[in-house]
Amino acid sequence: MSQVTEYDNAPKTDHAYDGIEEFDNPLPGWWKWLFVASILFSPFYFLFYHGGAAGRSVEDQYGIALAENTRLQFAEIGDLNPDEATLASYMNKPNWVRVGQSVFKANCISCHGREGEGQVGPNLTDEYYKNVKNIEDIAKVIINGAGGGAMPKWSDRLHPNEIVLVSAYVATLRGQNIESNRGPEGKTIPPWPEPVEDEPETPEE
Amino acid sequence: MATGTPTNGPDDAALSSDSGTEEVRLEQFQYDDGIVRLFATATIVWGIVATLVGLIVAVLLVLPSITGGLPWFSFARLRPLHTNAAIFAFAGNGIFAAVYYSTQRLCKARMWSDVLSRLHFWGWQLVIVLAAITLPLGITQSREYAELEWPIDLLIAVVWLFIFGGNFLMTLIKRRERHMYVALWFYIATIVTVALLHVFNNLVIPAGWFKGYSVYAGVQDAFMQWWYGHNAVAFFLTTPFLGLMYYFLPKAAERPVFSYKLSIIHFWSLVFIYIWAGPHHLHYTALPEWASTLGMLFSLMLWMPSWGGMINGLLTLRGAWHKVAADPVLKFFVVGVTFYGMSTFEGPMLSIKSINAFTHYTDWTIAHVHAGALGWNGFMVFGMLYWLLPRLFQTKMWSDKLVSLHFWTGTIGILLYIIPIYAAGLMQGWMWRAMDDTGHLMYPDFIETTQSIVPLWWLRVVGGVLYVSGMLMLGINSMMTWMGRPAEYENPVHTAPRLTKTYVDHTPTPTSAIDGAPVLELGKKVSVWSQMGWHRRWERLPVRFTVFTTIAVVVATLFEVIPTFLIRSNVPTIATVKPYTPLELAGRHIFVSEGCYNCHSQMIRPIVSETKRYGEYSKPGEFIYDRPFQWGSRRIGPDLAREGGKQSSFWHWTHFENPENVSPGSVMPDYGHLLTEDMNYDAIAPHVKVAAYLGAEYTDEELNNTAEVAYKQAEYIAADIVAQGGPAKAYEKQAVALIAYLQRVGVDLFATEEPAAEETAEPADTDTESSEETAEPAVEEAAQAEHGDGPNQDAFVVN
Repeated sequence: MSQVTEYDNAPKTDHAYDGIEEFDNPLPGWWKWLFVASILFSPFYFLFYHGGAAGRSVEDQYGIALAENTRLQFAEIGDLNPDEATLASYMNKPNWVRVGQSVFKANCISCHGREGEGQVGPNLTDEYYKNVKNIEDIAKVIINGAGGGAMPKWSDRLHPNEIVLVSAYVATLRGQNIESNRGPEGKTIPPWPEPVEDEPETPEE
Repeated sequence: MATGTPTNGPDDAALSSDSGTEEVRLEQFQYDDGIVRLFATATIVWGIVATLVGLIVAVLLVLPSITGGLPWFSFARLRPLHTNAAIFAFAGNGIFAAVYYSTQRLCKARMWSDVLSRLHFWGWQLVIVLAAITLPLGITQSREYAELEWPIDLLIAVVWLFIFGGNFLMTLIKRRERHMYVALWFYIATIVTVALLHVFNNLVIPAGWFKGYSVYAGVQDAFMQWWYGHNAVAFFLTTPFLGLMYYFLPKAAERPVFSYKLSIIHFWSLVFIYIWAGPHHLHYTALPEWASTLGMLFSLMLWMPSWGGMINGLLTLRGAWHKVAADPVLKFFVVGVTFYGMSTFEGPMLSIKSINAFTHYTDWTIAHVHAGALGWNGFMVFGMLYWLLPRLFQTKMWSDKLVSLHFWTGTIGILLYIIPIYAAGLMQGWMWRAMDDTGHLMYPDFIETTQSIVPLWWLRVVGGVLYVSGMLMLGINSMMTWMGRPAEYENPVHTAPRLTKTYVDHTPTPTSAIDGAPVLELGKKVSVWSQMGWHRRWERLPVRFTVFTTIAVVVATLFEVIPTFLIRSNVPTIATVKPYTPLELAGRHIFVSEGCYNCHSQMIRPIVSETKRYGEYSKPGEFIYDRPFQWGSRRIGPDLAREGGKQSSFWHWTHFENPENVSPGSVMPDYGHLLTEDMNYDAIAPHVKVAAYLGAEYTDEELNNTAEVAYKQAEYIAADIVAQGGPAKAYEKQAVALIAYLQRVGVDLFATEEPAAEETAEPADTDTESSEETAEPAVEEAAQAEHGDGPNQDAFVVN
């Protein structure tokens, strides 16, 4: 090997392979102890999560998170029914219409377009409706599907409140008449009912 | 370290006693550098191909319609070609060059058989060419890094184990150097383990020459695949490269290796611990949680054994750093080893469940593997080649400046690749999870999250261009160096004594430094043991060393495999989950063949932001008929685990025709050929027969009249498509099978939820045997309750 350096004072083995020699340096201390620590840590971690205590498994934690999320979303409104009064009321609550819009964006835009203007599915922003005669029918179509599966049923995919809120959002799209490559489909129907002013507006969060 | 027990058997004493009398016979031999030249050339050629294909798929992501929908030129078919070419063609030939050059010198022996060496070379190139043909044709198993179909797998097994392995082991046995150097240990581990991984991950029942069905299904299949996938990284991209490093780095630096003891400890701990870590690729999936925890813990334990290699590499350069500044070979090695250190820190970090929950399915993984592949594997190979080429071609490098330029272009290329892609992973991961303070997704539109990282994908293209240019510089430089070779290569004759049968161990009997001290006898024994004399003995016994390595790997494997396969509660049965119909099976074959899994996962994790986006999380029992599993590893598009019934059949038709029609901004290419190519109903039967053979229940009608049964279901779907406003005669086309499959994915879990509603609401449902399903409304409640007794049990409907 070429030149002697300060490191060559280290103990050396008598090994030589094709000119490659080996020092007999000890294991670096930090290396050794980190390795030992990673081994010692393992049984404690395993016992903590798999010792049988409740609330620590992935499923348990998911359940807790889901309950918390559901509370966050719907604690204020409780369980909604997809009836005329509820829909008419919620389509006039901008906070909750935004929630409906979020549901719409996650599930509906691939057929009805980002603005509801219609693509594979019909335009929701004009005055013409195929399977809807009154505001309740929006929720019915979402729950059961329509058109021989062209509109899938969503009852086992969406929370009942989500169905109400997305229906309310769809109701608000009416009359926006966004430019669309889908012509009018179905018939014009009577205007949505006026909301019943039963309670003060939900406070802004 | 299961095998780390000291053995000072009586045979050792016998070996040392009656030696010295045998006469020393000198033997003459020449090294076979011709085979190294072949492998080195192949490394460069395939390196250019692999990185070029990588560049192409990077461009296809940002310009998905650039190929006009050519089926064999789509991202999803070319991406496996890129990964296979990078791993098995580029890195593979690179490690073979390293093994053939260094083994001969470390053993003071020519390779055992020149014929086997050549068979290895040409056999391996044949495998690569076959891969390059079959993958773009859509002939694939869809197992990542094990995509090749069974006839090619057989060829690989023969070439790897019998030809390469046999030749290598015989060379060890016929060596003239008493002890095996650490590089050889790593080569042994590589050969043994890759053979094992390859064979057990690729066990299939053939359904024709171009299709085999995995003998494992669902959860177990996923477990085996990632046992393989993770350890392919370990034993194809790590251990042989450590061997390469241990030979070429001290050679180039002309410095002794930092620590022999560290070599021993990190070798055995690496080999034993690596095998366990595979399940960290499956955190939060339907894999049993205990397996996932083991995967994480062993990944954490793997951190130091991995860094042992980095330390031994970098500290070997102590006293030679002035050379690093001047010598591009060492520069490549330093950057390579540094990237190894980064990747093997990042790996354990990404294996921590809570971190993995964020990074999994994102581009972070892509950045991580490219730091490893481009930095560690690429740069180690480049360093080795620039050291080897002048020696192989027996002339100076054509241009040293070009070597330097390659180094800088490559380094900047890597950084320009990985930094934007890390950022893309962070960004998209955050957008997927982000919820506003009312508990709703902030980015419910999936395409919005993709669109936001497209600019970063463009930056990757720039980084890729730089890295490919570096490859081309290597190509030009090596070609010009080759042109300057002498008319005839010198092949010096070496002389070394043949190994005597018996061996005198001249090293003094190890004594403990604490011999006189008043400590327990045990303490003294430990002190002697830690001087590693026992291991020195193993280094003289190649066959035993190989056996010990095999035991380490097999034992570690069995600890995880046996419980995974034997514990029934790992996969609680769901009574409503039924086999795919013949048409759906054919559609699934198309899904696999088109490589859809490269962009779409089918695995919803129990994470609120995820179930809100995609639906109820995936259960282990849902996958018992999935051969192979299709859980995927990256979500370039949305998850499809609950795709069944989510869109109309006509929507899918339109979407295949051109995704932009229904999803503006989508990066999915069009699959127009599925709408024009005819569906071959007669080809379905073998698939159903194999599925039945593997345990799926089919009626006699389905088994004997497969084509008709499938055709009937296709007519139902085609009628739906017409009713929904689509074209007539869809049943003639391949798309109908794929649609049948997609409409089935993930629906069985809910099959008994509302049986009546399902039948009335969807009279012409795609799911023709839904009546058969709903006839059996008994979900095994016990199995379900056992697995999830929390508020989530009732939460099927909450999306």
